[in-house]
Amino acid sequence: MIKLYDYVLSASCYKIRLMAALLGVKMDHEAVDFHPGRAHKSVAFAQLNPAGTLPVMVDGAMILTESTAMLVYLAKLAGPDWLGPVDAKAAAQVQHWLAFSGRLAASLGMARLHDMLLYQGDIVVWREQGHAALRELEAALTERRFAGGEWLVGDTPSIADIACFPNVALSQDGGVSLDAYPSVRLWTRRIRALDRFIEMPGIHRLHELSPAPKVA
Amino acid sequence: MTPRWIATGLSQDLPKAVVMAGHWQGHDLAVWRSATGRLQAWNDRCPHRGMRLSHGFVRGETLACIYHGWVYGADGGCKHIPAHPALTPPATITVASFACVEQDGVIWVAPADMAGAPPVLSDLQPLRSISLTCDVAAVLAAEPALQGQDILRATVQIGEQGQQVCLVAQEGPAGLTLHALCGVGADKVAVSRWVEDLRRRAEMKVAA
Ligand code: FES
Repeated sequence: MIKLYDYVLSASCYKIRLMAALLGVKMDHEAVDFHPGRAHKSVAFAQLNPAGTLPVMVDGAMILTESTAMLVYLAKLAGPDWLGPVDAKAAAQVQHWLAFSGRLAASLGMARLHDMLLYQGDIVVWREQGHAALRELEAALTERRFAGGEWLVGDTPSIADIACFPNVALSQDGGVSLDAYPSVRLWTRRIRALDRFIEMPGIHRLHELSPAPKVA
Repeated sequence: MTPRWIATGLSQDLPKAVVMAGHWQGHDLAVWRSATGRLQAWNDRCPHRGMRLSHGFVRGETLACIYHGWVYGADGGCKHIPAHPALTPPATITVASFACVEQDGVIWVAPADMAGAPPVLSDLQPLRSISLTCDVAAVLAAEPALQGQDILRATVQIGEQGQQVCLVAQEGPAGLTLHALCGVGADKVAVSRWVEDLRRRAEMKVAA
């Protein structure tokens, strides 16, 4: 069975848990004491991932340390439709968004780690870079809407959407509001309404889809 | 300040059963559309503990606060308090409403007692709302063809063609928002990219 070294509050780890859930893939989870233990920076953990980042995926002898590679692996195994359309432009666009998700992690993701886990760094710059990335995402999703599209690439959700979703949905945790990005907001709602969607602290299934609390 | 209609968003960005943040001249609003399509703009503070109602969610014809789940009905009155399910909330627990209408695909807000209708923007189609870190003066300086103060209009050359562009300005706490419309039948992608370019030029003017 695939094993995921995991931390509940990590956006990148959630990305993999979400993809696996949407695909119906079961994994073993090993919780890593990221905060405050910093177990991912330990000598023992370096055997798995010398870079000391999370998540880490192990399947047999294969060790993956990049979350976008894990998305590709899960989709190839359990749901090739999630890789996006196969024509040249679409395939290139999927790669674009996988790489772009790294910029979201380096901006919105760092702003959140700063605000939540007290990471040191220039919060003003991280937030500015986060807004710059959100402007690009908003422009792209708006153009997709002009053509009747609801997802980043193609007619169905793909690994491109899942790669970008967590740090966007958690942007508020880093002091970056989505108020100015209507197309981004509607896109996050669509993902939160997907069948088999799972939550993490700070990201919830659309509330209106849960049953109303019982009147006692 | 004379009360007037302010554009706070585009209809296309507020589907049924969705709430979003809005703004009218210093007042933060929760603008929402019920499951049957009823549009409302309320003061964006929950009467309970002041949580932003725009962070809440629509359930049927009601808006629920995300914090403790107080539920508000179409008249703004609190209908249900989950922690006290047997209690009929007193009528005094009510969210203040604003006037809110949509016209030409634009959502307009004004004080509740506002008389008259919002400006008409005929022969145009809504394009997108875009936020800027500069003010209207910087936008006008960046594009001399634009005329107007709250509603900026121009026919601009985009690609081969002259295209009608209309930008409805809204000042908010986070800066300027332009609600962009374009001519019917225009190439929306091309106009959208032109608006992005206008934003870059206007913001650069300020930075320089
Ligand atoms: S603050 Fe809205 S229900 Fe408590």
